[in-house]
Amino acid sequence: MPKSQYISPADAFEKGYLEFDKIPLCRYDKTLDEEKKLYSKEDFLRIYRDMRIIREFETMLNEIKTKSVYNGVAYNNPGPAHLSIGQEASAVGQAYCLDINDFTFGSHRSHGEILAKGLSSINKLDEKELYDIMKEFLGGNILSVVEGSEEKKGDVKDLAVDFLLYGALAEIFARTTGFNRGLGGSMHAFFIPFGIFPNNAIVGGAAPVALGAALYKRSCHKKGIVVANSGDGALGRGPVLEALNMANMDQIRKLWGMDGKYDDTGMPILFNVFNNFYGMGGQTRGETMGFDVAARLGAGFAPGMMHAEKVNGYDPLAVIDATTRKKELLVNGEGPAFLEVATYRVSGHSPSDSSTYRSAEEIEEWKKACPIAAYRKKMVEGKVATDAEFDEIESGIIKRMTKICKMATDETISPRMDLDREPDIISGIMFSNTNTPKMDTEREPEVLIPKEENPRVKQLASKSRTAFDENGEMLPKIKQFGLRDGIFEAIIDKFYEDPTTIAYGEDNRDWGGAFAVYRGLTEALPYHRFFNAPISEAAIVGSAVGYAMAGGRAIVELMYADFIGCAGDEIFNQLSKWQSMSAGILKMPVVVRVSVGSKYGAQHSQDWTALCAHIPGLKVCFPATPYDAKGLMTEALNGTDPVIFFESQRIYDVGEQFHKGGVPTEPYTVKFGEPDVKREGKDVTILTIGAVLYRALDAAKKLESEYGISAEVIDARSIVPFNYEKVIESVKKTGKIVIVGDACDRNSVMRDMASNITEMAFDYLDAPPAVFGSRNWITPAFEFEKYFFPQADGIIDVISQKLMPINGRTYTVNETELEHIERSKAGV
Amino acid sequence: MANLVIMPRQGQSVESCIITAWHKKKGDKVSEGDIIYSYETDKSAFDEPSAFSGTMLEVFVSEGDVVPCLDPVCIIGNEGEDISSLMPQKGEKSEKSPAAEQPASAENKSAPAAPEKTGEVIPNQRVKISPRARKLALESGVDMTKVVPTGPNGRIIERDINAALDRGERAGVAAVEAFLDGRLQVVPEEKATADTAALKKAEGAPSANDFGEYEEVAMSGVRRAISRSMHASLSEMAQLTLNTSFDATKLMEYRSSLKAGGEALGLPKISLGDMVFFAASRALAANPDVNATLSDDKIRKYKHANIGLAVDTERGLLVPTIFGADTMSLAEISRASKAAAAKAREGALTPDEMSGGTFTVTNLGSLGIESFTPVINPPQVAILGVCGITHRVKEDGTVYPAMGLSLTIDHRALDGAPAAKFLNSLAKSLENFDLLLAK
Repeated sequence: MPKSQYISPADAFEKGYLEFDKIPLCRYDKTLDEEKKLYSKEDFLRIYRDMRIIREFETMLNEIKTKSVYNGVAYNNPGPAHLSIGQEASAVGQAYCLDINDFTFGSHRSHGEILAKGLSSINKLDEKELYDIMKEFLGGNILSVVEGSEEKKGDVKDLAVDFLLYGALAEIFARTTGFNRGLGGSMHAFFIPFGIFPNNAIVGGAAPVALGAALYKRSCHKKGIVVANSGDGALGRGPVLEALNMANMDQIRKLWGMDGKYDDTGMPILFNVFNNFYGMGGQTRGETMGFDVAARLGAGFAPGMMHAEKVNGYDPLAVIDATTRKKELLVNGEGPAFLEVATYRVSGHSPSDSSTYRSAEEIEEWKKACPIAAYRKKMVEGKVATDAEFDEIESGIIKRMTKICKMATDETISPRMDLDREPDIISGIMFSNTNTPKMDTEREPEVLIPKEENPRVKQLASKSRTAFDENGEMLPKIKQFGLRDGIFEAIIDKFYEDPTTIAYGEDNRDWGGAFAVYRGLTEALPYHRFFNAPISEAAIVGSAVGYAMAGGRAIVELMYADFIGCAGDEIFNQLSKWQSMSAGILKMPVVVRVSVGSKYGAQHSQDWTALCAHIPGLKVCFPATPYDAKGLMTEALNGTDPVIFFESQRIYDVGEQFHKGGVPTEPYTVKFGEPDVKREGKDVTILTIGAVLYRALDAAKKLESEYGISAEVIDARSIVPFNYEKVIESVKKTGKIVIVGDACDRNSVMRDMASNITEMAFDYLDAPPAVFGSRNWITPAFEFEKYFFPQADGIIDVISQKLMPINGRTYTVNETELEHIERSKAGV
Repeated sequence: MANLVIMPRQGQSVESCIITAWHKKKGDKVSEGDIIYSYETDKSAFDEPSAFSGTMLEVFVSEGDVVPCLDPVCIIGNEGEDISSLMPQKGEKSEKSPAAEQPASAENKSAPAAPEKTGEVIPNQRVKISPRARKLALESGVDMTKVVPTGPNGRIIERDINAALDRGERAGVAAVEAFLDGRLQVVPEEKATADTAALKKAEGAPSANDFGEYEEVAMSGVRRAISRSMHASLSEMAQLTLNTSFDATKLMEYRSSLKAGGEALGLPKISLGDMVFFAASRALAANPDVNATLSDDKIRKYKHANIGLAVDTERGLLVPTIFGADTMSLAEISRASKAAAAKAREGALTPDEMSGGTFTVTNLGSLGIESFTPVINPPQVAILGVCGITHRVKEDGTVYPAMGLSLTIDHRALDGAPAAKFLNSLAKSLENFDLLLAK
């Protein structure tokens, strides 16, 4: 909502018609003679070879899956195989015109896309570059398998084809010599040095991720375009539509240039839909969608209609023609673009597909239209090459594929990870745990003003770094350097240090974030580093994943933690998994800021730490003091792991009450996983998660003054990872612990911690660890908060009811076992 | 008419704002819409336009001041106007100190109430006790029967053990172990009998209840003392028993001779037991390692033998001490033993007469016991059991009366070899009792 753009009633209510341009449908009509001017014989034959390699690769997998043998090589593959027989021309046509700098993100059915892009890259790289890539990748592991014992002199490109096919197949067969050491598999195979970015087992999952890679190119001024491949079925998915919308944001062309200071080019992304007319069995045209022609979608997102077009995907030359034109538009800053490539898979969705949803006649007709046979016929008739030449290519491919299949199924040269001998090998790649303050050490960060001139920075200089004055009296909140200021300071420091760091989310710019954490960043940063995202949580997080994959660092904000649900796949399946699915090749420096609300009812007040902590591969923290917030944010931003950074709207304004000397102005870090003793005691331990710390401290004060009970209060600070040692130490001392948080009790992090503490300190416990969370209800209105969220008095009640009965205590809550049995019976 | 300008409230969560700049000062002309001051919340910055035209008549706060929302900031009106009614009351401060808002801490702070009893420790019922309290009980040897549960649902928790210990309730680690093991494994009695009865009935077999009659007798004080002491003895010490026997021919001959002529000399009726007691007193004087007590990691070796004499009485076992037995003649020992045993049976022993022992002799020989394992009377480190006479055959085929001796030692204080030496020397001296008397 920039003030420079004025919205007037006159414009809003203007009469007229909205007009659309025509969308070209399969308009390619070049003759072979015309094409001969563009392609050499070698080019024509290479197109054939690439299509035929893909066909043979998929045929081989189909034989292995359905008959457990291919050309005499016997093997049983329990993993998935979503084959693309019939779609070869679409993949090869697209890849033909892409360079190494151009990235492709795969669809759900992407063996062909991967091989096509790989073959295209092999053709474009010179021999030395190519050999170096193979030699450096995973320590030359894959190269040494395909090269044999001796270094192969001679045809490096031929060797590279073996390398590509073997690396992909070994990955599909879960071998440690696969592109991702067998951890990605069929659905997640990729090879970054050839510009092949991950495909995705989640239909449409790659679209927002691909947008993020394009954002990286756009914001970090990198060459090349990004192709987001998806099938037609994926067009029904929200994240794909969100990504389409976000790629078309007006601001990219209208605001990001900042009056000529920076680029005003469009997002360099091509949304490429391989329309094979079916989801799995659901027929998109005629059944599950209403678009009739998928290219229609391009018209819905921006006045330029995304240059939408439909092309015949059974003609590789037509696909090359269309993709080349789209790429040119993107390179010229006219992106994004939308291309529908009509194609068909004659193979089933998977080997178990009995084609109950389509007729045999339909399949037969498409088989007759086979793109490879048709192309060959056209080439022979057009005297480009003879049948004998094509036969020779074909037999060479079959021979090669048999060799590759033999190698990839041979346990001795293609072993699997040995988890008996190295049981921690997967544990070791769940997080990268690096310290990388700058993702790019060559560029200078782009900023608008020196940090010292920033109005927020100047304002903060006048605030007290501790909550108290020199007499130990609490200062008014507005004079305290608050928790939101701690987060801000860590982030602005990073913006002036790491040129790749960007931040976005809803209402971040101008407004400064809904809770004013970002106030001051608008003045500091150009749009392409700091902008308002559309209300598209899936695209916000998904694009951050792609941004990080491509090499940058992103801070994204979901205004309320409740919106995690809107970005479910992106947080739970994309952000969390790519580091480990890539065997540690990819890094994921993304911080997702989420804010736990209060006073806003059932859909705006939830602490969802448990959901995030449940998913392997995410770090989760929930600081409750300015010192911890700044330290943990700095730690998160120096690392390369995905962090879900929980904040609480209850305490954005609290000053530092614990750390001696207050919050330092210079950067420092608080290590993940270390809980912090906020108050020492000897009779009972209160372990807190998040904002409830302050209510626990109130309870501790009351326990001391009214009952002579000395409570130790420990602030968890981090949830994943979490070091129990300090807590166990405290429990050994006190024998009693209550774990408190604002999350609903059932299946919470608190419950998990209670279970772990019971196991780790059983002999020291004087009572089972007690848990005091929120009720398993909706969050009621603010007026009823005390009945829902844990309060100081309730904490004392729980201590009395479950740990050490306090004589004369009048209870405000009933947390006894009997009550819990009844609640559990009722499911509340 | 003069108007009071107040600090607006920008959002529910905003309590106060900070004045960042005054654009009008006292006496300035103000038109409606003029920015009069700028202020900030912790979330954003605002410019406040005037809703009135006139003159700035009064300004209450300065730049940098923190002003609670809805508090007066300034007055705009016509020059010379009476604004006294709009002036803030004296003593009203624009900024409240949050510390002052806190209620004064309770003056009448009384000592916290003692924890309330939440359950009962009932013998033979399952004991609810936390792992931590259990650990402390086992370490401290608290008297579990004196612990008052104050934990949730009648559970014994750490503070309950500590409270009992503070009251001095100790029974030894062995007692705690026995208590916890026994009670934690036993199903409440009522239920067990009921279940068993039901089961038996179903099978048509005689019910356990048919033959389950018993008389329940409360333990006497003596019984309880014996129980505690004996159990502590066995659980706290490392007891080891050595058995031997000796040729009692000469001993018996000597006793026969006493029987025949002793009375004439005015000697008491001397028993075999007296004679062993006498020999032991001499052997002890020569072996201070055995004539010793052990407590708190300190071994006391005594110069004189104060020997406890185990006496079976109706009320239970009592052990009066014969002080300075090593200095007494056989006749004196015999007299003293008889007197002590009589006193014990009458129940006339004082506690002093039953303590201070450095060794104990217990005699089951007269009851025909061939060998047994005496239990040491703590804190002594050894006890001698006198066994009955059996007949054994020598290598040459001759038969001789053999009298058994059982010596239990506390291996913590005394090793097997010196104990064996002591026992052997005792046996030798008894075999040659005449020589011993001659010493």
